[in-house]
Order: sequence, then C-alpha cells, then structure tokens
Amino acid sequence: MIQTNFDVLFQSLICILFSGALVAVLLHKLGRPIAWISFAIAFIGSLLGILLSIDVILNDPITLGWSLGTFFGEWTLYLDQLSAFFLFMVCLVMASVSVYSFGYVGEYEGKYDTGLMGALLNLFFLSLVLVVSSNNAILFLISWESMSLVSFLLVMYEGRKEGVTNAGYLYLTMTHIGTAVMTAAFLLMAYYVGSYSFDDISAASGSLPSSVSSAAFLFLFIGLGTKAGMVPLHVWLPAAHPAAPSNISALMSGVMVKMALFMMVRSFFEFLGPVPSWWGLLVLLMGCISALLGVLYALKETDIKSTLAYSTVENMGIMFIGLGTAMVFQSYGLTSLSALALLATLFHALNHAIFKSLLFLGAGSVVHATHTRNMESMGGLAKPMPRTSVLMFVGLLSMAAIPPLGGFVSEWLLFQSLLQTTAVPDILVKMLMSVSIAILALTGALAVAMAVRLFGTTFLARPRTEQAKNAVESPKTMLWGMSFLAALCILLGVLSSWIIPYIDNVTESVLGVSIGSSVVDGLSISPESNDFATMAPLLIALLALIGIVMAWVLGHPKSGTERTSGTWDCGTPLSSRNEYTGTALSNPIVRVFGNIYRPQSEIRTESTSSPYIRKRLFYEVHFGDVFERRIYHPITILFTGIAKRMTVIQAGSIQAYLGYIFMMLVLLLVVFR
Amino acid sequence: MSSEVLTDAINGLAAIILLTSIVLVASKRMRSLVRTFMIQSLALGMFAAVVAYYTGADHIYIVAVLTIALKVFVIPYFLEYTIDKIHVKKEIEPLVGIPMSLLICAGLAFVGYYVSEPIIASGDAITKNCFAISLAVVLIGLFLMISRRKAMTEVIAILVIENGIFLGAISITYGMPLIVEIGVFFDVLVAALIMGIFAYKINRTFETLDTTFMRRLRD
Repeated sequence: MIQTNFDVLFQSLICILFSGALVAVLLHKLGRPIAWISFAIAFIGSLLGILLSIDVILNDPITLGWSLGTFFGEWTLYLDQLSAFFLFMVCLVMASVSVYSFGYVGEYEGKYDTGLMGALLNLFFLSLVLVVSSNNAILFLISWESMSLVSFLLVMYEGRKEGVTNAGYLYLTMTHIGTAVMTAAFLLMAYYVGSYSFDDISAASGSLPSSVSSAAFLFLFIGLGTKAGMVPLHVWLPAAHPAAPSNISALMSGVMVKMALFMMVRSFFEFLGPVPSWWGLLVLLMGCISALLGVLYALKETDIKSTLAYSTVENMGIMFIGLGTAMVFQSYGLTSLSALALLATLFHALNHAIFKSLLFLGAGSVVHATHTRNMESMGGLAKPMPRTSVLMFVGLLSMAAIPPLGGFVSEWLLFQSLLQTTAVPDILVKMLMSVSIAILALTGALAVAMAVRLFGTTFLARPRTEQAKNAVESPKTMLWGMSFLAALCILLGVLSSWIIPYIDNVTESVLGVSIGSSVVDGLSISPESNDFATMAPLLIALLALIGIVMAWVLGHPKSGTERTSGTWDCGTPLSSRNEYTGTALSNPIVRVFGNIYRPQSEIRTESTSSPYIRKRLFYEVHFGDVFERRIYHPITILFTGIAKRMTVIQAGSIQAYLGYIFMMLVLLLVVFR
Repeated sequence: MSSEVLTDAINGLAAIILLTSIVLVASKRMRSLVRTFMIQSLALGMFAAVVAYYTGADHIYIVAVLTIALKVFVIPYFLEYTIDKIHVKKEIEPLVGIPMSLLICAGLAFVGYYVSEPIIASGDAITKNCFAISLAVVLIGLFLMISRRKAMTEVIAILVIENGIFLGAISITYGMPLIVEIGVFFDVLVAALIMGIFAYKINRTFETLDTTFMRRLRD
C-alpha cells in the first residue's frame, strides 16, 4: 500500500515539475509573479523529492508505474538507493535554491525575462530527476542532453553581459564532446549486450569481453569527466559556472557535476563488471591531478565565483580519488574497504553539494550587493552584510574541512580509507596510493588557504571601493535559502554518526556489503580496522563550543580595563589602500608553485622629477593556462584552419551546390549500381 | 498492330525524348528551350499512350492525356507568359560551353546505360530498355540545371528531370497507380507556377535572372 503511494509521489513529482515549466513558459510575460509561482512549484517538488528519496533509501527501489515502449526498448523510470541518494542531494539543494531565487530574481526584474528563469529552473530540476531515474541508455542520454541544454540556456541567461556568450559556447562545445563520447560507450555496451535497458546491461556485466569493457570505461570516463570538470577537460567549468546567474551556478556546481559521479559509480561498478585495478589507478591519478590543480588555480583567481568554480574542480578531484580508491580495492577483492572508500566519496559528494551551493548562493548575494565579481574591489562586507558573511563563513569552514563540519568528516573518512592501502598486495599500487595521500593532504592545506583568502578579501578589513561601501544586506528569502544549507553543513558534520548508516545503505546496494555497523560505534566513527583511528564529530563539536566560549570569556576582560585608541599608522592615515589584497595573500603560493602557474608579472613605476619619490607603482600579473596554450589552442587553430579551407566549397553559388549534389549522385549511382 | 511495331514505336519515342534533352542543352535561346520542352513532353505523352495500348491498362491513357495537357500546353504557356512579362534577355548564357556540354551529355548517357544495366538484365517489361534513357534524361536535366545561369532555365531543367523520372516509372513498372500520377502532375504544375513566380520576384529584386548574382546572399 505504501509502495503504491510513493509510486504516485514519483509520478506527481514529474508532473508538477513539467506543469511548473509549462505554466511559466506560457505566462512568462507576467514577469516576477509567475517566476515566484514557478519557484514555489520547484520548492514543492523538491519537498516531494526529499520525501521520496528518503523512503527509497530506507526501503525498496521503485519503478515508475508507466513505461514507454520504443524502438530502443522499454523506457522506464526507476529509483534505487543510489539514484535516490543523488535525488536527495538534488532536492536538498533545489529546495534552498528555489527559496533563494524569490529574492534573487529581483536583480533581473526589468532587465531579463524573469518568468523564463522560473521555467528553465523547473525544466532543469526535471531533467536532473530524469537523469538519476532513467533505466534505459537512450532515455538516459536524452535526459543528460536536455540537462546540458537547459543548463546552457541558463548560463546564457545574462547573454547581454560581456563574456557570457563565449562562456556559454565553450560550455556547449565541451558538453557535446562529452555526450558524444558517452554515447559511443553506451552504444558499445548495448551492442554487445543486445539491449539498451540498464537492467539487461548490468545483468550481463561480467560477460563483456575485457577489451570492450575497457573501451567503454575509457569513453565513459572521458565523457563523464568532461561534465565533472576533470582536468584537463575542465576548461569550460571555471568559465560557465561563474557566467550563470548565482542560483544556477549553485545548482550546476553543487548538483549537476555530481550527475557525472552518479553515472560513474553506476556504470563502473554495475555495468562494466569486475573492475581491473588499472581503471581505479587511472581514476585515482586523474583525481589527484584535478584536486591539486583545481585548488592551485582557485588560489590565483580574483573573481569570487571563478574561485568557487575551481574549487569545484578540486572537490570533484577529491571524489575521483575516493572513487578510484574504491575501484582499486574492489579489483583486489577487498570489498569492505572498497565500500568504505565509496561511502566516503558519496558522503563527500553530499557535503560538497551542500557547501558549494551555499557558497555560490553567498557569492550571489555579495555580487548582488556590490555588482562586481572581483574580490579585490570588495572588502569589509562583514559590516553591511553580517548574516551573509556568517553563512559564507560556515560554508567556507566546511569547504576547508574544519572539524566538526561535514566537509571534515567526509575528508577524514577518505583519508582513513586511503590509509588502508596496506591491505593491497601489490607494492607498486601501495606506493602510488601513498603518493595520493600526500597530494590529498597538500590539497586540503591549500583549500584552507583558499578559504582564508576568499573570506578575508571579501568580508574583512575596510571596503576598497564605493560599491563595497554602499553594500546592503540581501533580502530575507535569500538569507533563508542560505541558512537552510548552512544548518545542513553543520548537521551533516555533527550528526554524521547517525547519517552514515543511511549512506551505507546506498553503498550496500552498489557493492553488496554493509559496513555501517563497523564504521559507526555510538558517537564515534572509525574505519574498518577498529583500533586504527577513531573520531567523534559530536564530541569535537562540544569541545569546540567549550573552547569558543572559554576564549570569549577569557578574551574579554572586565570592563574598565580596556582602552580604545587608533592604530599606530606611522603618521600616514590608514585607508583601504594599505590593505593586504587577495593577490598579495596568494603570492607566496604562486612563487612556490611557479612551475605550475608560470606567472608573468610586471612592475612599472611612474616617478616624479626626483627618482627617489615615486608617484605610482603598477603591478600586473598574468597566469598562463597551460592547458589552454598546449592543448586547446592548437586544436582550435587546427579546426579553424580546416574550416577556412572548407569555406572554398561554400561558394554561395547555386550552380556549385547543385554540382555537388550532381557529382555525388553520379558517383553513388556508378558505385552502387 | 504487331508487337514489333509497338516496340519500334516505344524505342523511337524514347530516343526522341533523349534527343530533345540533348537539344535542350544545345539551345541558345529561351524560347527554343520552351519549344523543345514541348516536343519532349509530347513524345512522352505519346509514349505513355503506346504503353497504355500495349498493356491495355486504361488509366495510363488518362496519364497520357494529362501529360500532354499539362506539359505541352499549360506549363509552356505559363513559362512563355513569364518570359514575356519579365522581359528577360533571350540568350541562355551557359556556364559551360555548348560543345563541352554536348560531350558531357554523351558521357551522361553512357553513365545511364552503365548504371541501369543490372536492372535491365533482370527485367522483363517491353519498355525495359527505356530505363537507361530515363536515367540519362534525369542526369542531363541535372546537368542543365548546373551549367546554366538563368532562373528560367533552372525551371525547365527541373521539368526535364521530372520527365525523366516519369519515363523511368512508366518503363519499368508500366506506370504507377493513377492517384499517385495525378498527385505528381499536380505537384509539377504547382512547382512550375511557384518557380515562375519566384523567377519574377528574383528579377524584380536583383534586376536580373542570373543566379550567380545570388552569391551576394552569402554571409
């Protein structure tokens, strides 16, 4: 009885989102009211989705009542624990984004079509739901493509702004390359299995020839990696995510890139059968590269949203490290260790979805208030925007993996699972995995630096520009949307010992092994081997709380003993010009990693008549993007060269076009007579 | 009539159709182009009539009558009317010289035979040899379209292609069902009308019917 009820819930979720999009498209002329209605519909949809996914994670998988028979087999929608977990993630983020959008859409009032934004938001939500629930390769590809196209439209939403169109087309090109490669993978699998249904493909997983499954793996990894922002296929991500409106950036960075992770978990473990260890090592390697380069590039950015976008590249890299570890363990038959790594990966995915969307929403508030994305022209925003800054602070703590927040717990689990490599018999693999531990540690440290830099440059010190001085706090709805996510950031960490068993349900459905009971023991969390390490997030939280209270009490001596006076300023009045900038903060790191950044800095002085008195100093620094210069630039030159050659046949003359047809016809007739 | 006479008549008419196509390529003036097209269509109508007599299928008679009515009278009349109305220069202005065009047409006739040979070998219809001619006519029509500049010549070229297709349809299947034929006739008529109107519009916009000027539409 309950089963059918949830079945109906699933159907109504899809119908609600579809009708929300339809209504908003039809009535988009009405502007803001219709946008509000569609956001409300998205919000209701996300509540339904949360309910539904919790039920599926706790109980049984469900199949949607109706299915569509097509040339490519039955098209059914199906939710199992894994897809429900990702649906849960989508709906959590979507719930807060839809609330946030109520206030945020005001920025576009009168400039862009706000009703359209509501329609696209609903469509985006719908395509995300379909991506996680498709049970047929072709249906999945269609949903995937519609997700990409709708998000492309959303990236182009502020199309009249400079640079947005370029970012949008870059995104469109990259995502299509990815989809094309993925299509090849699925067609390959379907050809050997003889069916497009995911059920049949996973049932036949072991029977694929190893060369075929390896080819399919490589295609899928490249195709999905493009969407996930894997280095060196990441170039579109730092361009497109910041270009989109901030509520959409939150969805793209928080949720959409996770869809790639979802399909990787599903296809690598369920479709492609027994995993050879080199697959895992490849994923691990790419993960390490993405994590390290992502955070390094994030440190050089002065654009607040680009910084966050590069941080997404980094975090996807961390998830790939976890996924690769799980695959390596799986290939050596260490299923319970594999489950630990996968659990850490999924948990980190959830945490990243929450804190990254929180940060993007916060960045949206900041941009909304200052009308610039350049952090160097912000500063001092903690005063005019106290709530936003506190919420951003929570998100940044989680991103920097500070205990006891969610980001810390998942990264800790990931470290623990990497440290279990001693169980792997192959010495070479052991060594490689140890290197990845070091890289992960380095990444974590740099992530802290990035968080400090982002918060310090944006919110602390004095405002550097007029815009920053005149900033005002965001509307209430925007703050509510963010507060929900910030609360989740904290709860996911503090209550992780209660949450992990549910994620364990998900990994159990993928790998068939439950490790929940051995990982969680009362309040404390520990990896597989009990006496290895133990950690209790709740106790850490209590300790931290006590520490903060103590510091506050001790740090505030009794009144009367305080003395307030100006800062010693060497006789020059201190202004925002004396502040430490974000570029300056990251300069030591840029120097240390000069080989990667390849900075080109230039200092020019404008002197007066006396060489000892300088009027002005200019400092300019440029970073060359290695991938752009070495990979993408040559490819672009090649293709534009070919295209230029091809324009010769595009003569614009009717006779020439007819001539091509004629020659082709005669040729075909003669060849195939 | 004996079947030998019929075969001779059919082959002779088909030869006329091919010859008129080549004459079309060799024509230098717009009006002679239309006239030659009339002769070709007349031969085609008579061809259909002979096939109808041979097979005893009544509906082919109707097709023959329709062919003659439309392609010998209505469409040529309309084309001449358009040519008069837009005061087009009567010269054809070929892109490929006429001697060269004729050589290419000979080559295309060979291609037609070469391509249709396997089909002819397996067929048993009396008209099967005409299939090669029909292919050659289609190819010559296409060539006419490519090698001439004026929009009016392109209209006639497409009508020639249609004639070739019609000849092919009759020669290998003794004609399609009547309803299909009538539909095709209607299409051809409408196409000729529309293209005539387009030619008129093109002339008014570009002050010429020379389609090479439409290069400007690029970019």
